[in-house]
Amino acid sequence: MTAIEATEVSKRYGTVVALDRVDLTVPEGEIFGFLGPNGAGKSTFINVLLDFATPSDGSVEIFGHDCHAEGVAARERIGVLPEGYSVFERRTGRQHIEYAIESKDADDDPAEILDRVGLDPTDAEREASDYSKGMAQRLVLGMALVGEPDLLLLDEPTTGLDPNGAAEMRDIIREENERGATVFFSSHILEQVEAVCDRVGILQDGELVAVDTIEGLRESLGGGTKLVITVDDLRNGTVETVRGVQGVETAVEREDSTLEVTCTNDAKMDILVELHDAGVDVVNFRTEEASLEDMFIEYTGSGR
Amino acid sequence: MSWDVIARQDWDLTVGERSTKALLGLLGFVIVVTAYVYPIGGSEPYTTGRFAGVVHGSLTTLVPIVGVLLGYNAVVSERESGALRLSLSLPHSRADIVFGKFLGRAGVVTAALVAALAVAGFLVVYPFGELEPLRYLAFVVFTVWFGGIWTGIGIAASIAASTKRRALVLALSVFFLFVMVWDALDDGLTLALDFAGLIDGELPGPLQFYFGLEPGRVFGRLTDGFVDPSATVEGAWYLSEWVALPLFVLWLVGPLGLAYRRFARRDLA
Repeated sequence: MTAIEATEVSKRYGTVVALDRVDLTVPEGEIFGFLGPNGAGKSTFINVLLDFATPSDGSVEIFGHDCHAEGVAARERIGVLPEGYSVFERRTGRQHIEYAIESKDADDDPAEILDRVGLDPTDAEREASDYSKGMAQRLVLGMALVGEPDLLLLDEPTTGLDPNGAAEMRDIIREENERGATVFFSSHILEQVEAVCDRVGILQDGELVAVDTIEGLRESLGGGTKLVITVDDLRNGTVETVRGVQGVETAVEREDSTLEVTCTNDAKMDILVELHDAGVDVVNFRTEEASLEDMFIEYTGSGR
Repeated sequence: MSWDVIARQDWDLTVGERSTKALLGLLGFVIVVTAYVYPIGGSEPYTTGRFAGVVHGSLTTLVPIVGVLLGYNAVVSERESGALRLSLSLPHSRADIVFGKFLGRAGVVTAALVAALAVAGFLVVYPFGELEPLRYLAFVVFTVWFGGIWTGIGIAASIAASTKRRALVLALSVFFLFVMVWDALDDGLTLALDFAGLIDGELPGPLQFYFGLEPGRVFGRLTDGFVDPSATVEGAWYLSEWVALPLFVLWLVGPLGLAYRRFARRDLA
């Protein structure tokens, strides 16, 4: 059974396209990392999953339940750490967990959950609106863990957490996965995703530009080269010209009239020729071996 | 079906709030004081039915303002803060949220009204009044229902608007229209038509029906027709207390239902 099945999901706000025909399948048992810079559409996708937003086209299903038409059924087996939430006023941490337990009709022990996410009993009796961002994040993760969900949906889970907290978060993600839960989490930081994910999807400007395993991404990059070209004058259209060359994967404009291009080895010469034909003088160029981090930056930074 | 969880949490939160205590305290105070002075100022016989005819005047002003002030922030404040996202991430539907919030808040208003009217009933009956149990029970039910209508209007504003400020303006506008200026509109039109020689002191039946749709007037017709033995309901059949019953039902489900339809289809992100 598939945990998440998105078919041609689009979301438009007026003329702005937040999601552009996203197709995505996350099988059960997987840890899936959803990568992209801020504003790429990650949150919009998760909002569609949670039925906070209705897709303009296409549909998403969680365990076979349409997220819009059967929202409650779709959310029955999931635990969610949403983004842009706030805790309830005048309720203690413990009451938050109890609310989640009642809502999910679960029989967890609040104390156990709170302990697991690292909130001690004194914190638990305090009003959650007094919590720091990191503590609130732990608390809501606790709410997500209630009822042993089959799918954990975590939107930027490490926001507000210190490195220690982020490591604990990763441990919990692994534990939950070993228990059998599918984990879907979004992040704009590659190393967090790299550390735990079986597969990652990279979202850019509302489009899913890559879905692969970390190794797969490395391999697809293996033959690739990064070319750093400094030109005399970077004009409008130059980047597009380079992108049009066969074998070019990404082309990004950097400061000081510099272009960063990832491409196949054969394409290097073609790029320089193309630039020359376009009347652009190449002042300097060097090649580097592209790393995964580079590739992520290339993918996600090209919107800048 | 998880509105009960929402309702319970909302009840706890609403009861704990200081503004709630102040509003409901004021409401209860006015009801009880009215009951206390009623035998002093009123004429014999002192009965709970006739008391209803007296207290109903202040209830038609007070219950609406308490209702909208308790209702208007029910959903929109959580929506603005983001706490609504936590509730909607759990297996609750938007209908569960709206219905649960309504039950929670209307429940608080109901508890206050029932308690105040029980004390008031006692003050009227003791020492020389008379209790008309069925009529008084009907009055309590109508009053609670009226409280539900106005709490519902407040919550309707809360789910129709996207910010707390707009919800408050919307809710208060409805309050001002129906409670503060409705009578003036009615009187003004009557006066104008009378002056033009089109009518003779009284609006034609259909117009009376139209002005009589206002929840407070529906409540008044119900009290006059079913509770207060010294009052009568006059006019065409469609102005009777029996027609007022379905109107009272409509006022409870109408505003909430319409606002919910909008809320259900809307993006909350």
